[in-house]
Amino acid sequence: MKRSGRLTPPGAFSRRQFSAMSLGGLAAFAASPLMMRAAHAAGTEIAFWGTGTLDIGDAWAQTQSDIGLSVNFTDNGNDPGPIVARLVAGNANAVYDLSGLQGGAEKELAKQGAIVPWDTSKIANWDKVWQWAKDIPYLTDNGQQIGIPCVVNADSIIYRKDKLGLVDSYGVIFDPKLKGRVAMEDAWINSAIFAAIYLKGAENAPINDPGNLTEDELGLVMEFLIKHKRDGQFRTFWNGWEQGVQLVADEEVDAMTGWEPIVLEGQRRGLDVAYAEPVEGYEGWGNNLLLHKGAVDRGLGDAAHQLANWIYDGFYGAQLALSRGYVVPSDKNTEWAAGNLETAGADQVKSVVDHVAKKFSGKVYWQNTRPDNFQLYEEWWQKLRNS
Amino acid sequence: MFLIRRGLALASPGFLLVLTLGFLPLAIILVWSFWTWDPATYWIRPDFSFDAYAQIGEAGRWHVILSSLGKAALAGVLCLLVGYPAALAIHFVASRPLAFVLMGAFTVPFFTSYLIRAFSWRLVLGRNGLINSWLLDLGLISEPLDWLLFSNFAVMVGLVASYLPFVIFPLLLSMRRVEPNFIAASQDLGAGFLRTLFTVIIPLTKPGIFAGFLFVFVMAAGSSTEVQMLGGAGASMISIIINDVMRVVNFPLAFAISAVVLVLLFAAVLIGNRIFGLTKLFEDFK
Repeated sequence: MKRSGRLTPPGAFSRRQFSAMSLGGLAAFAASPLMMRAAHAAGTEIAFWGTGTLDIGDAWAQTQSDIGLSVNFTDNGNDPGPIVARLVAGNANAVYDLSGLQGGAEKELAKQGAIVPWDTSKIANWDKVWQWAKDIPYLTDNGQQIGIPCVVNADSIIYRKDKLGLVDSYGVIFDPKLKGRVAMEDAWINSAIFAAIYLKGAENAPINDPGNLTEDELGLVMEFLIKHKRDGQFRTFWNGWEQGVQLVADEEVDAMTGWEPIVLEGQRRGLDVAYAEPVEGYEGWGNNLLLHKGAVDRGLGDAAHQLANWIYDGFYGAQLALSRGYVVPSDKNTEWAAGNLETAGADQVKSVVDHVAKKFSGKVYWQNTRPDNFQLYEEWWQKLRNS
Repeated sequence: MFLIRRGLALASPGFLLVLTLGFLPLAIILVWSFWTWDPATYWIRPDFSFDAYAQIGEAGRWHVILSSLGKAALAGVLCLLVGYPAALAIHFVASRPLAFVLMGAFTVPFFTSYLIRAFSWRLVLGRNGLINSWLLDLGLISEPLDWLLFSNFAVMVGLVASYLPFVIFPLLLSMRRVEPNFIAASQDLGAGFLRTLFTVIIPLTKPGIFAGFLFVFVMAAGSSTEVQMLGGAGASMISIIINDVMRVVNFPLAFAISAVVLVLLFAAVLIGNRIFGLTKLFEDFK
């Protein structure tokens, strides 16, 4: 019996060819994790699970030529709760080698055995890292370096300079004259600390660390916010970049606590908006690099240290300064920019770096994504929502 | 008998898929809501407890659940009030081509993402938005109306605009079941338009009314974008409080809130079916 008498048009596949190709495809698909693991094992690729702001896109290719490593960056969503849960109880340690996470959860992650300490002697550029960034309280535990600073900045108040003149206090957010014309972020991680900084600095409230409030301190801060919310002080609580920009650009509010890039966007749209230098202090935040235990188990510990060293080497810092106005706390950013960029680019990097460094020369309280009473923060935030 | 067996055999993969992808996760949520979070493992352990359900009563969470259902119900009613006349016009008045165009027009909101839809309302309802600008230009107001945006009014506008198409199609389905003879008989007996509408058409389209309401109600109850983008300071919905508690890894509480909402929604479906006879909608398909 003739098995196949049908003519196959040029470019088409016979059933046998198709079956062979399908099987080949399936085999390749099945083998791909093995191939990825092999790349991992050879120390050629680091799986970096970080906040989107740490991503430099195509520029990651530079690591290949500089240190012979490739970086596979995945956005972690920047929501500390699910990230910590996935690192401790989920598969993040099996899938990713490094985390880039907003500061606060490091000690918890180290206690749970999800991350391991860095060996700073393997990071040649460690002595170029700014001392105050090394001193971020969450980064060391029992003398061990459980996190290293990757990006730092400090946040305060965005305000309409044309309407309010010079603003230098969080008092503007709680000023009854601006009732319904101010906003805060819809997140206790930022809004509770801003209110606490104000109460501590301007009203001498008995608050020790605005980033890690005790039960009583938290009650005081949240009752204060609830009172102002009931009085109609806040136009809204904002969420995300677009909403933040829109509130300012469409003149919905005259002042709000928030991120400095929103000011830059407002200025780009021709608005007379400014970023306050509050006398009560800034909310400092660090996005820190954490070394996963899984990476060390897979033999990628040294490669991860190599990548950390590269991050402080200037190229990465210059990229972030130019693209987002964020700063890697290393002396080498401006050095690299001066030697490798046109004058305008180098000046811009220097200006961004100097601007952020200046903020940290004053009073700064560190944002903490995982305060001791973190579940109580959520309870109070619900009470605020429902008040 | 052969056909029934054949039909069941054909349908079984679909049933299995629904059971696995639909009911299994719901069952897991229900079971896990009675478990306890273990700080040592950062996961839940099978210690039977009502703690999570007790926590629903704290920090005003019940208030959010009930007010979310209230907002969803109001959105459902408003969608019906707007959607019923539209469906009536499409089915009874418009020519075939026009009906086709009108039905297409109601699907336009789905051409863009829900996020963009909600965001665009901020540009319409804001202090410098279209409506305030028109009112100011017409001299009807001297100051922009602040309550147009970041208010319950704005949330309702966002919900109705997003979910209106979901009432139109069940209503059209139910209107197809209204025999033209009934309407003719009503008119022959001297009933005007309103009398025919209220004594013939509306009673006969009750299943479609309830189905349309249910679609909007369920989707609005689970929405968050419209509330976060258009609501006032701290405006909340069920999905927002679930997200908030997930953020602090209080998984049992998140599961308990979901379980309570599921039970309430199932109860609404069963009661509604009893009253409005939802199953009648599908009698044609038997």
